[in-house]
Amino acid sequence: MSTDRRSFVRTLTAAGGALGLAGLPSAAFGAPVIAAPSTAPRDRTRKIEKAPVSLNILILGGTGFTGPEQVEYAIARGHRVTLFNRNKTRPDFFKGKVAEELVGDLNGDTSALAGKKFDVVLDNPTTFPAWVRNAARQLAGNVKHYIFISTTSTYSDQSIIGLDENSPVHAMPDGLDPYTIDAGDAGKYYGPLKVRAEQEVAKLYPGIHTIIRPCLIVGPLDRTDRFTWWPARIEKGGEVLAPDNPDDPCQFIDSRDLAEFMVRMAEAREFGLYNAIGPAHPMTVGEMLHGVKAVTTAGAQFTWVPWDFLQAQNVRPWRDMSVWQPPYGKTAGYQRRNSAKAIAKGLTFRPLAVTAKETLDWHKTRPAKEQEATLNGEINGIGLKREAEVLAAWHAKQKAGSK
Amino acid sequence: MTRKTYSRREFLTGRAATGKAPAPLDILILGGTGFTGPEQVEYATARGHRVTLFNRNKTRPDFFKGRVDQLIGDLNGDVSALAGKKFDVVIDNPTTFPAWVRNAAQQLKGNTKHYMFISTISVYPDNSKPGADETDGLTPLPAGLDPYTTVADDAKKYYGALKTASEQEVAKHYAGIHTIIRPGLIVGPLDRSDRFTYWPARIDRGGEVMAPGRPTDPVQFIDSRDLAEFMIRMAEDRAFGTFNVTGPAAPLTVAEMLGGIKAVTTAGAHFTYVPADFLRANGLQGWRHMPVWINPEGATAGFTRRGISRALAKGLTFRPLAVTAKDTLDWNKTRPDAEQKTLADGAIAGIPASKEAEVLAAWHAKQKGAP
Repeated sequence: MSTDRRSFVRTLTAAGGALGLAGLPSAAFGAPVIAAPSTAPRDRTRKIEKAPVSLNILILGGTGFTGPEQVEYAIARGHRVTLFNRNKTRPDFFKGKVAEELVGDLNGDTSALAGKKFDVVLDNPTTFPAWVRNAARQLAGNVKHYIFISTTSTYSDQSIIGLDENSPVHAMPDGLDPYTIDAGDAGKYYGPLKVRAEQEVAKLYPGIHTIIRPCLIVGPLDRTDRFTWWPARIEKGGEVLAPDNPDDPCQFIDSRDLAEFMVRMAEAREFGLYNAIGPAHPMTVGEMLHGVKAVTTAGAQFTWVPWDFLQAQNVRPWRDMSVWQPPYGKTAGYQRRNSAKAIAKGLTFRPLAVTAKETLDWHKTRPAKEQEATLNGEINGIGLKREAEVLAAWHAKQKAGSK
Repeated sequence: MTRKTYSRREFLTGRAATGKAPAPLDILILGGTGFTGPEQVEYATARGHRVTLFNRNKTRPDFFKGRVDQLIGDLNGDVSALAGKKFDVVIDNPTTFPAWVRNAAQQLKGNTKHYMFISTISVYPDNSKPGADETDGLTPLPAGLDPYTTVADDAKKYYGALKTASEQEVAKHYAGIHTIIRPGLIVGPLDRSDRFTYWPARIDRGGEVMAPGRPTDPVQFIDSRDLAEFMIRMAEDRAFGTFNVTGPAAPLTVAEMLGGIKAVTTAGAHFTYVPADFLRANGLQGWRHMPVWINPEGATAGFTRRGISRALAKGLTFRPLAVTAKDTLDWNKTRPDAEQKTLADGAIAGIPASKEAEVLAAWHAKQKGAP
């Protein structure tokens, strides 16, 4: 299949949308390529100014979720972009659009990087410290700046309200070697592995590295449904199960805001450790769902069901009630982390309506099976069937209680 | 004010592609340069209709110059410019007085196949019944009031009664070929009444925002573009009758409205809901001071829950709230300083920042003092 990004743009623009659409074939990181194209809606009328100095940027990965947004923004800012990846996630995704595409594997052959020099490296895919080490065999001494996407999952205590970059992080369990750990355990030890990968970055690029710890990343191209559940569900209308209390806090970051911040941090040669969490001011889960509703016309009606009842129904926070975590106990701080340091360095946030609308528009371009999986709650989100059951149980309880 | 002050490009969606109507109509728009009128002109033109305006050329002089035919006159006086003209449909936007309908009819009666009149939901004196439809009782003219009064003060004092009487005047002159549209609160770009604009403007400033009543209180309003487009399509369909026109189709709460508006901003406003009785005790009224919202109890229990199923059945549609909010906000930023000041002072609708801070402080003090 053709994955020529530009031809998609031309086709869709010619189709007459007032909003420019960039066509992006869809495939999850590590998942088989899916033939049907997906599109990432993007306001092409937005003017992006050139950076004062053009940088030579190497992006590791770059074809997943945040990566493509880095590529788009970096090119728009006038930088020279080289990609290094397996050419598997979305093969030839940026073919002809980036300066150079190097094929290799962070988990194996990195020889394509030999002898290359870059102003800055953006490391997106790394979960394992070994990947940092492998890349560094070619890159250490050849780059002036190394930016690593870590995660807020590095933090070991999510009960801390206002948690910041100085808060405690996970340690690797005794007896586990992070360099030889089984790849299948990446999920299980995600936090500790990312901590160790951060340490590897610090060791190999001392004084010239930036660690970015994003919270939940959302927006077009996200195939995890960890935010997409809400736009997809609310767009269907009817009674929507909403978690606990509309005043509960929530946090997330649009992949474009994250990508653009990282590129600007590269331009500014900003080193250090930063949470990248949105929005700048507290947002409630009620405001989030109401904001998502505002980009739809189906007239969804929210029923807020208290946490104790959800628990009794085995409704899981995060997995079933996307984005939300109980603002009590060991997750009291999960949605109330501090990102002041990054905001001081210029992290900005799109309006929620833009994130919601563009995520929804992209979702509608996904293959029918993916859209169905979303509404079935196969990846994240409670799913329509289970939602109806829980709502019925809740209403039955309400009725019984009012007698 | 010139047309250049605001772009009609819609936020996020872009203006939806407007198909051509099956048959072009000759449309006369009375007024057409105010708030909903310009949206009728835009949509009708895009649909391929031929548009003629009749107005005083005073509200926004030469607003559509060169784009539509313009006849100059005054519904309250000289209507001779309409003499001998024939139209498929007349859209009457400005009429408050039955006398204006009568005056226009001197030229138009027998010369138009359809007369559409923008009335108001204020024709209903009883706002206590949620879901009340078009068969609800109307406001009678007060005894002793000349039905053909054109005294400006009467229009304010007897707005509902005079609109009711105007509807009856329309029915008399255009029997069987008229459409009465009764909109609720009309909102959107070009609205200089600030009765919705207060919220986008206020929320865009960020900080603690005083919000009215309970988050679950219902609200209703209609985007002027949705109203205008519905009317043009009703003209195309030759749909006669009386229709409440407000929205959205499914219930919307005040929290959903404010949260939806917040979603188009980045200032990070946060809301403090202050109950109706505390607002009242501090001299603040729903609608006037806390725009859009009316306490949904007692005499106003149905005010923001009007039945609109008739219009929905005829194809009334609604833009997403985010579009209304963002476009209104963008337009508001283009308004002249004098209008910005009026809004900041809460002179027409809303409250000034100082009053908001004062009542919020009183509310927090009361909360603290509570046992």
